[in-house]
Amino acid sequence: MNRRTFYMFMTPSLLVMLSLMVFPLLTSVWLSTQYMTFRNINEPEFVGLANYLEVFQDQKFWNAFTFTMTYIAIAVPMIIFAGFLIAVLLDQVSRSIRGAYLAAFLMPFIVVPVVGTLMVKQLFESGGLVAWLFREVVGSRFIFTEQTVKGLILVHALWAATPFPLIVFFAGLQTLPHELVEASMIDGATRLRQVRYIMIPHLRSLFVFVGLISIMDAYRVFDSIFVLTEQNPIYKAEVMMLYTFRTAMSVQRLGKANAMSVITVVLILVVLVPFLARTYKEQTEER
Amino acid sequence: MKRIENRYALAAIYLLLTAYAIFSVIPFFWTTIQSFKTPRQANSRVPLFIFEPTADNYTDLWLKAIPDDPFVVAIVLVAIFGLLVLVALNARRFPVPRGYVYLAVLAVGFAVLWSIPGYIKTQTFYDYFLNTIIVTTGTICISISIGCMAGYGLARYSGIAGVVILVAALGFRSLPGMSYILPYWWFGQRSGLYDTHILLIITLVAINQPFTIWMLRSFFMNIPKEIEESAMVDGANRLTAFISVIIPIMWPGIISTALFTMLLAYSDFLLVRILTQSNWTLTVAISKYAAGEDPGHITLAAAAAVSAAVPIIIVVFIFQGQLVKGLTAGAVKG
Repeated sequence: MNRRTFYMFMTPSLLVMLSLMVFPLLTSVWLSTQYMTFRNINEPEFVGLANYLEVFQDQKFWNAFTFTMTYIAIAVPMIIFAGFLIAVLLDQVSRSIRGAYLAAFLMPFIVVPVVGTLMVKQLFESGGLVAWLFREVVGSRFIFTEQTVKGLILVHALWAATPFPLIVFFAGLQTLPHELVEASMIDGATRLRQVRYIMIPHLRSLFVFVGLISIMDAYRVFDSIFVLTEQNPIYKAEVMMLYTFRTAMSVQRLGKANAMSVITVVLILVVLVPFLARTYKEQTEER
Repeated sequence: MKRIENRYALAAIYLLLTAYAIFSVIPFFWTTIQSFKTPRQANSRVPLFIFEPTADNYTDLWLKAIPDDPFVVAIVLVAIFGLLVLVALNARRFPVPRGYVYLAVLAVGFAVLWSIPGYIKTQTFYDYFLNTIIVTTGTICISISIGCMAGYGLARYSGIAGVVILVAALGFRSLPGMSYILPYWWFGQRSGLYDTHILLIITLVAINQPFTIWMLRSFFMNIPKEIEESAMVDGANRLTAFISVIIPIMWPGIISTALFTMLLAYSDFLLVRILTQSNWTLTVAISKYAAGEDPGHITLAAAAAVSAAVPIIIVVFIFQGQLVKGLTAGAVKG
């Protein structure tokens, strides 16, 4: 295909992406240098880097930042470990029953995130199943406080985000070469050593892939935390996306919110650029 | 891998897997149960598993008044939509191009959905449901049309520009939606498109475009070049070859991509929450029920959650074959 035909086919899609992805990002940078509320949308006032200074001095921003990082540091290893463990165990059971287990495991993955969160929350409402269990075991009522909401957020992350690593690792384990495993059995390797020296090295590239996607997803998590904290806006259980949202929509400081979103993009690019460089190399080698 | 034979170890494995399976499905199970209770039953001190089920939550959610003959209405509706799904699934057996069959099915489906409020008094929840359908269908149609052309170009062009576009698209896809949506809000306010379906559709198309072109490209790469080349030897130019030769054999790939686009558009929350005031879709509407204070909100929220989950589960159930194809195309989550 020659270059002219290629651009003819690309034009509509390129136009959409340039006007609605590239241009908005540039607009966001411009908006971040303006003082803008809902009142002066049409004549914003240029303030230079004042929004950024304000963000860096904002204690609530740092709280949200710390909670986001804590969330990534706890949730990502947790779901990767759980996904790997369940995938290895699922690989051990007979084929006929795997399908039924997989169908159950994939339910949280299929359902709309907001709906899934609402369903998990139902368990903890007064009269809910877990709330009742909590009362029976601990002896006091389950109430939504800063600590319990944070715990709830992690439980929900485990519930909603584990199916993705699980299914990727399970698919990867199906490609494990039989000879390797059999040779190691003859050499007398224990199960744990097989996992450590055969499975994990075999799945290494998948670990990188899943880790990257999970970090990105954890970084931009919004829907679930919005639903779980809507009842009582506890600022300490806020992630960066949620704080940006509240700054824009509730506090109505659009310039400041855009400054935060620019900072977010810069932080994400740090993780993203090496990955994109690798993809670029792979794709150029492919042709 | 050789299986574990120790009986106790195997029992432990089954126990753990079953526990995790229960953990995965219990929110669905419990919410469905709660949605058939009265608020009083739902708030009881000890969880009730045996009770007299009531459909009041669903009727309160969807209807202002119950029609005189609810069973007839339900049977007629199920029959119409069952027929439409059957026609859509067997589209390739009709003597006309498949695109026309899908269009006809969509047109009839829309006509029926729109005429319902004329016969039955529906709640605003039904309006949110219609909004969801408009936005999702619009997004799929536009996104797939322009995505197909781009995906085909990217699959066949060997220049470096193609790689640059693909990698850039992947980068844009990985950024959080918030960084686009705040500028969209500002455009929407300035242009007067705020709170309209059009704004939702074009922004959803843009946000899903990188994913769409990656996935469609991987499907187009599986189609041998010789097919359109032989058509072009016969005198067709590339565009006619694309429309009349390539698209007809691409339908399985298009349907897979359309399904994933549908799931993404249906479940989008942040964008719709920011860009609308009252024309909500289901996801935003049901998040409102989560924040209620009165004791009735738990059962109503449960009914809303189940109502929003059921269409997706039905679609996944009908099209599971295509979804697996899409997953193995390796482009999911681009």
